[in-house]
Amino acid sequence: MREILHMLVVLSVICASSGALLVNLKQATKPQIEQQVLTYVQGPALLSVLEDRDNDPIAERAELNGVTVFPAMRDGKLVGVAVEAFAPGYSGDIGVMVGFDVNEDTLLGIGITTQTETPGLGTRIMKPSFTGQFVGHDLEDMGLKSGDGDIDGISGATYSAAGTVDAVAKAIKIYEDIKPKLETVWKAS
Amino acid sequence: MEYFLLFISAIFINNIVLVQYLGACPFMGTSKSTDVALGMGGAVIFVTLMATAITWPLHQYVLIPYGIEYLQTIAFILVIASLVQFVEMFLKKAVPPLYKSLGLFLPLITTNCAVMGVAIMVQRNGYSFFKSMMYGLASGIGFLIALVIISAIRERLDISPVPRVFKGVPIALIMAGIMSLTFFAFQGMAA
Amino acid sequence: MSTITKEFVKGLWDELPPFRVLLGLCPTLAVTSTAENGLGMGAAVIFVLTMSNLIISTIRKIIPPKVRIACFIVITASLVVTVELLMQAYAYPLYQKLGIFVPLIVVNCLILGRAEAFASKNGVIPSIADALGMGIGFTLSLTFLGAMREMLGNGTVFGTPVMWESFQPASFMVMAPGAFVGLGLILAGMNAFNRYLSRKKGEKEPVSQNSTCASCGACNSCGQ
Repeated sequence: MREILHMLVVLSVICASSGALLVNLKQATKPQIEQQVLTYVQGPALLSVLEDRDNDPIAERAELNGVTVFPAMRDGKLVGVAVEAFAPGYSGDIGVMVGFDVNEDTLLGIGITTQTETPGLGTRIMKPSFTGQFVGHDLEDMGLKSGDGDIDGISGATYSAAGTVDAVAKAIKIYEDIKPKLETVWKAS
Repeated sequence: MEYFLLFISAIFINNIVLVQYLGACPFMGTSKSTDVALGMGGAVIFVTLMATAITWPLHQYVLIPYGIEYLQTIAFILVIASLVQFVEMFLKKAVPPLYKSLGLFLPLITTNCAVMGVAIMVQRNGYSFFKSMMYGLASGIGFLIALVIISAIRERLDISPVPRVFKGVPIALIMAGIMSLTFFAFQGMAA
Repeated sequence: MSTITKEFVKGLWDELPPFRVLLGLCPTLAVTSTAENGLGMGAAVIFVLTMSNLIISTIRKIIPPKVRIACFIVITASLVVTVELLMQAYAYPLYQKLGIFVPLIVVNCLILGRAEAFASKNGVIPSIADALGMGIGFTLSLTFLGAMREMLGNGTVFGTPVMWESFQPASFMVMAPGAFVGLGLILAGMNAFNRYLSRKKGEKEPVSQNSTCASCGACNSCGQ
């Protein structure tokens, strides 16, 4: 009996102290981890869609309607924003970062942030020959040519291409919703 | 069709040992004879399935709702370690013949990264419960196939003239490398 | 040689993991596609191994023998989560590259093996010496294997080109087959070197003594 009690006490003390340590560590590293994830996961796609800027979009990000919005400023004026949206592809969600030109209401470009598509097939959505079609596209007619839009799909990767287009369409919806609020957060041109 | 592809891909194209490097320790340690390899492979299939069946709901319904996904490692290893102990005790009492053939290998499985690896991988890939079970089963079968093939090769190697410095583990590793190269050929078939 | 130095040095050659004692093969094969990854993995293992040896040797007297493996697992797993969090916070690219093999440090037999075979039986200072020796040996081995594979498979070491201009990289070296073949060649090389050493000393030839994971402390002890 004494032995069992001893075992229970020692095990509980070890578990409790390791739990306490980890909870505190998690709290302490949380902001740093968020920063790192933004820099390395969303970062590359983000910086490629907001090329023409002189600020740090990650540092100046803000929440609008529960969505994180990244601004692109030039000479202190807001020129573009980027938002991320997700849609199911062939396997799992495809995350797409979409940049918008706030003056022209056109797309600055798209970058894939997360995807688990089939290597060699579905991953062709990341190639410039596909993503390039979105540069300068307006907010209307976002869809594949086989549907009601004007984007060329990828043969052999229909679902992946459709998922990307869906995600872009969602991002456009978000952009239209938040557009009126943008000027209150960042000074527009 | 999707499940079939997943199944085939987990067995051959993304073979857990030869392509994803998981479970390399038992792959080298228990491949000296085909009988042992069969036993170990069977035990791995069994435990992988059980572990996936428990860790999947644990992750989805306990860790995620409470926002403690970062404790995944600690939760999974505890589940797997106690599961192995439990299975061992259960088999010993309830199914002695099965215990006789698998019992010896069960303790080795706690430190087998294939089991833990599959449990973590299905979460990272975001598979559904059914898909996770399929993936677990297929990975286990992939492990069994790789282990049985290499053990048959090693049985032959034991009686072949091998340069002395290569005898034992070194030549087995090089054979594993050649097998891995062969399995890479399946990748071309998928694309 | 004092005992502490001896404990430290044995991890660097006599019981060098993973080349002499085949412990922790999965990370050895998986993350050594470049020298940098090998070094990163080694650093994580040094941290976990040293801390777990330190903690376990400190509290070894109050751990009830029957649940010692459970205690070791909890301690190691907490340390691995610590490493995971720290890596995410300060070395995210490395965390992305090592991927699933960071949480899998917890099932690395090297760590549970040292806890069971050494830290639970020895004092704090020798345990730390043991952990540092083993950890540094493991790191050097991984970096060496990584550098070799990176050099043959990509023509670079730590990202710097080292081969001649017309060198055609054998890209299979940085993929899974290269890992197995590379490790096999290194083990054979170690065997040859040991034979040469003992012949020079006039001793009789040693039997190649690559033990495997099945002989590691933790695996055996779980079976009791």
